[in-house]
Amino acid sequence: MRSDDNETNRRKVLQLTGAGVTTGIVGLAGCLGDPDDDPTEDDDENGDADDGDDDDALDQDDFDEIVITQGEFPDVVDPVDHITGPYFNVYDHVYEPLFDFVPGEGIEPRIVTDWEHTGDGSVELEIQEGVMFHNGDELMASDIAYTMERQINPDVGPASDQVAGLGSIEGAEATGDYELTIEYSGAPDLAEFEFGNYARAMNEAWTEEQETSEGAIVGDDEEIFNGTGPFEVVDFEPDVQIVLEPFDDYWGDVPDFEQVIFNGDGESSGRVSALRTGESQLIDNVLPDEVPDVRDEDELDIREVTTFRNIFLVMKNEHEPFDSEEFRQAMNYAVDNEEIINTVLSGYGAPMSQPTPPEVNGYNPDLDPYPHDLEQAEELVEDSGHAGVEITLTVPEGRYLNDAEVGQLAADMIDDLPNVDCEADIVEFPEVSDANSAGVDDGEVPFYLIGWGVITGDADYGMAGFFMEGGGVQNFRDEELDEALAASQVEEDPDEREALLMDINEMAREKAPWVFLHQQEGIYGINDAIDWDPREDESIFVWDMN
Amino acid sequence: MIPERLKASLKREFHQSLLAKVGLGLLILILFLALFAPILATHDPTTSRYWDDQGNSYPPLGITYDTEIAQEGERVEYTVEPTTEHLLGTNNVGEDIYSKFLYGARTSLLVGFFGTGLAVLMGVPFGLIAGYYGGRVDDSMMRVADIMLAFPSLVLAVALIGVLGAATIPIPDPIVMAGFAEDMPEYMILPGSVTIVVALVTWVWFARVARGEAMAIRSEEYVKAARSMGASNRRILVTHVLPNSLTPVIVLATIQVAAIILLESSLSYLGFSGTTLSWGYEIQQGQAYLSTQWWIATIPGIGIVLAVIGINLLGDWLRDSLDPNIEGEHGG
Amino acid sequence: MTFGKFLVRRLLQGVFVIWGVITVMFALRAVSPGDPVNLILDQAAGEELRQQVREDLGLDQPMYIQYLDYLQGIVVGDFGFSYQSSRPVLPMVLERVPATLELAFAATIVALIISIPLGVVSATRRNEPADYGATIGSLVGISTPNFWLGLMLILILSVQLGLFPTGRRPVAFHDSIWIALTTFHLGPLITWFHHIILPAVALGTYFTALITRLTRSGMIDELGKPYVTATEAKGLPGVLIRYKHVLRNTMIPIITVLGLQLGTLIGGAVITEIVFSWPGLGDRFIAAVNNRDWPLLQGVVVFIAISFVLINICVDALYAKLNPKVAAQ
Repeated sequence: MRSDDNETNRRKVLQLTGAGVTTGIVGLAGCLGDPDDDPTEDDDENGDADDGDDDDALDQDDFDEIVITQGEFPDVVDPVDHITGPYFNVYDHVYEPLFDFVPGEGIEPRIVTDWEHTGDGSVELEIQEGVMFHNGDELMASDIAYTMERQINPDVGPASDQVAGLGSIEGAEATGDYELTIEYSGAPDLAEFEFGNYARAMNEAWTEEQETSEGAIVGDDEEIFNGTGPFEVVDFEPDVQIVLEPFDDYWGDVPDFEQVIFNGDGESSGRVSALRTGESQLIDNVLPDEVPDVRDEDELDIREVTTFRNIFLVMKNEHEPFDSEEFRQAMNYAVDNEEIINTVLSGYGAPMSQPTPPEVNGYNPDLDPYPHDLEQAEELVEDSGHAGVEITLTVPEGRYLNDAEVGQLAADMIDDLPNVDCEADIVEFPEVSDANSAGVDDGEVPFYLIGWGVITGDADYGMAGFFMEGGGVQNFRDEELDEALAASQVEEDPDEREALLMDINEMAREKAPWVFLHQQEGIYGINDAIDWDPREDESIFVWDMN
Repeated sequence: MIPERLKASLKREFHQSLLAKVGLGLLILILFLALFAPILATHDPTTSRYWDDQGNSYPPLGITYDTEIAQEGERVEYTVEPTTEHLLGTNNVGEDIYSKFLYGARTSLLVGFFGTGLAVLMGVPFGLIAGYYGGRVDDSMMRVADIMLAFPSLVLAVALIGVLGAATIPIPDPIVMAGFAEDMPEYMILPGSVTIVVALVTWVWFARVARGEAMAIRSEEYVKAARSMGASNRRILVTHVLPNSLTPVIVLATIQVAAIILLESSLSYLGFSGTTLSWGYEIQQGQAYLSTQWWIATIPGIGIVLAVIGINLLGDWLRDSLDPNIEGEHGG
Repeated sequence: MTFGKFLVRRLLQGVFVIWGVITVMFALRAVSPGDPVNLILDQAAGEELRQQVREDLGLDQPMYIQYLDYLQGIVVGDFGFSYQSSRPVLPMVLERVPATLELAFAATIVALIISIPLGVVSATRRNEPADYGATIGSLVGISTPNFWLGLMLILILSVQLGLFPTGRRPVAFHDSIWIALTTFHLGPLITWFHHIILPAVALGTYFTALITRLTRSGMIDELGKPYVTATEAKGLPGVLIRYKHVLRNTMIPIITVLGLQLGTLIGGAVITEIVFSWPGLGDRFIAAVNNRDWPLLQGVVVFIAISFVLINICVDALYAKLNPKVAAQ
């Protein structure tokens, strides 16, 4: 019943039906007509009153306004400070990305119209003329170079997390009003994945005038934002909501919405309740259990996608018993990731076979997930010489979809082995995050559950940090793997590089640095009049909606 | 230790009060469930994955619920039926709710009793010394107590656990050791940090009561006499002052057990307890399933309410019979 | 001792207590495990960056210097910057105060509205069914953890019956009042009211139960006093006696106990805010603990302690004014 074939089959069909549903929606939205047609909306001047007023919000049919409720609300205002998805989802509307990134495909022109690699570790970019900041200044190439400097240079601007996504970028320099050069150290292909995702534009002169703390812009009102994006901020209440309205001088198409509000609610049930009462039109991270309830509502729908976010158990191999490859493989055989997906995740998730998710550059389609095989696992534990060992799996709570449940099941499955005792220790996320940053030599928490979104769409982003010496979150030490990754980073031919990455994935599956669990499913609740497909990189762009 | 007059008063109140009998009955029931949990439990409470064939957790007997399952690649409606194997059903990770309920009673009572005991051990000597010596000693000791009282207990408790981490102490389970329940966990888990923390935030109330008593007794004739006969302060404290302060301390301790059970459940609801065998933790687990499997969060709450009602009723009975003048802070 | 002297002494004590709280919180941070730099930077940040941040925050300084800096900061209202959001802590605390005050006041009002009539009825109809009902009700109310009660209210009134939202605070009270007064648009005020009912009931139930009990026993005591029998003999209507004289005398110990229960109210608000996603101080506090955001955590706790001490001083002063013997002690 739970054979691999069946599973893949089921997923495929799900994807197909998902696609079918979406096509239906497009048609439906077409019937409902252009939201701009409806000028009768009684427009409250005050943003505070608007989203609070049930009567207004219950008008489901006009979408001049959209309220998006995420599980997390950005806690900083500087667009180059942090690296998490919910944060980008909000600020990308204000500080738009320089490129359009299409998951599984690559980058497309946006503000940058043209780019060319010179062959000596740099790329020349051309940007559009007449792109305006919200404060009326024109965007210059020097602004982009300055922004990149803020991201990668700790001496300029905040100690930005985004440096992790720009690992091979060395610097940027404006060569004209609308031309700039970006220098990089690795392969052009790798650099492109990096700047293609993380390049933004801030206004240099404006930024220099702002009040900062540790180099990051701080503030608590709408004046603290100034990007070139299609929306400008009209009201900002820290940790509560941010209200956006279309920017009149935007260079591109004017968005369909009169107003976009982002807010946050950490409780899934709270988000669902907001969606039901019409206080919100799009929510993220619906728990699998609540999916049927949402789907049953007339005007609501569930949209789902298998994301680039891997969920896995790290085993730091500088510490017993995880120093043994047999033991690490045994853990992979012991944990039944299909059962986890079918029970606590109600089928929402896809089993992982390797560190790289499908659709990401470098994914190796020939690899299968480790099968569930207790006998094999028991034997491997015997071979490893660690029979009778007691281990603790540290699991964060509330960070990933049903993370505590997933971790507890995994621990119980390992505990089923007659020769291993395993217990789950459920903790708050920072404890796990600390362990992850502490490096492979720190043995305090050697075995833990964590997730990682390979959002650049390139396998390097999912492996280099974890497996290479000096990678920011190194938790596995292996010379062979390290060398192979280093070689892939400087391979200039894209096809050759992809082949190298595929080999590395195969190698990594064999060496089993992690217990491979699943790719997380992005489950969104949405008002079904909105035409929108969720993205593998978990981005939410209002300009994708109709 | 307890004077005859008080014994008589306790008896009289008990006979007159139906509520006192109910309280005692409830407490005995919960104690029974907690003590014999390994024998009464039908499943190991830490064993997960009791699912039906479709991977759903069971509802309690007499209840069904609807969900969706994947069948041949499509999501279809499916009604989950209960099973006699799991009387109260299974929770979100497929653990037996009834067995977890019994072990949850253990954790609550362990923390309630140990935490109160620790608070008495810390607070009573502190209060006695401050009250007995008076003057500058009293002043400085009471300023320390003032600082403790400036934190709402839950706030201080959460801040302390944030620092200490949620450490636990495994205690071998005597019933399992004796071979009466072989499939049950060999250790019971005492949430050590929580026990220490609840004591740290409640000892001040004991200190205040003990201090009041010590101040009153200090000026009694027989204490003065003992002092003039050359008895050391320590001896006077132990032989005269301590026994006399016991009555209000016992009454306060009873009420505090209830308050501490509530505080423990709040802490474990917030995720700070360090053990999953706790009513508060179970409620937190069930919160996400309120709309589909409401019983996961409901059942453990009933346990808390019954235990706390039982202890509060006993506390009322003791207070009415012994009539000390005390105050304390509520935990939940 | 004069009232003035008493007040000065009490204030000095208050300053000492607040200093103690600050010191305790600083000590807790000093002994807490984990590197704050990990909270500020992403997992993937390099060592150079970490060192830089450590220096910027003064984390490389000896403890006593960090302590003195912190004390000095607080004196001038500078509680430092949040690790998580880089915002100054003080506004992060202050912006959450209105939500918590709303909740606390609403809960108190719910409690007073229900409990006092209930207590009066219970006392005047002693040993009748109404009395038993009130007694058992208040027993259950005192013994129910408010977070579980909150969930049960959500389960029955929100999930099953759909009568109330599951919490959240889409609009602030002061904003909704302002809108109502300036535009006569009552929508936001109704929304606010709709959202606060469940949290207020969940938080207020314990106090409802407590005050019912106190009112009942206080009334019974008062009703037995000679002046009541005397006025009754004079033929004053029973209702008047009950509500005017007896209740007034009963209220004094009730107010005292409520003052003492302030900590319970704040502690209860913390957890109620979590259950209902209510964006108040408690919500901020728990988030700060979970993120190990020490500057913010310290800020919230010190702020709560200062308000706590100030309120207590006010209560004491009021008491001393009314009852000069207290000041003399």
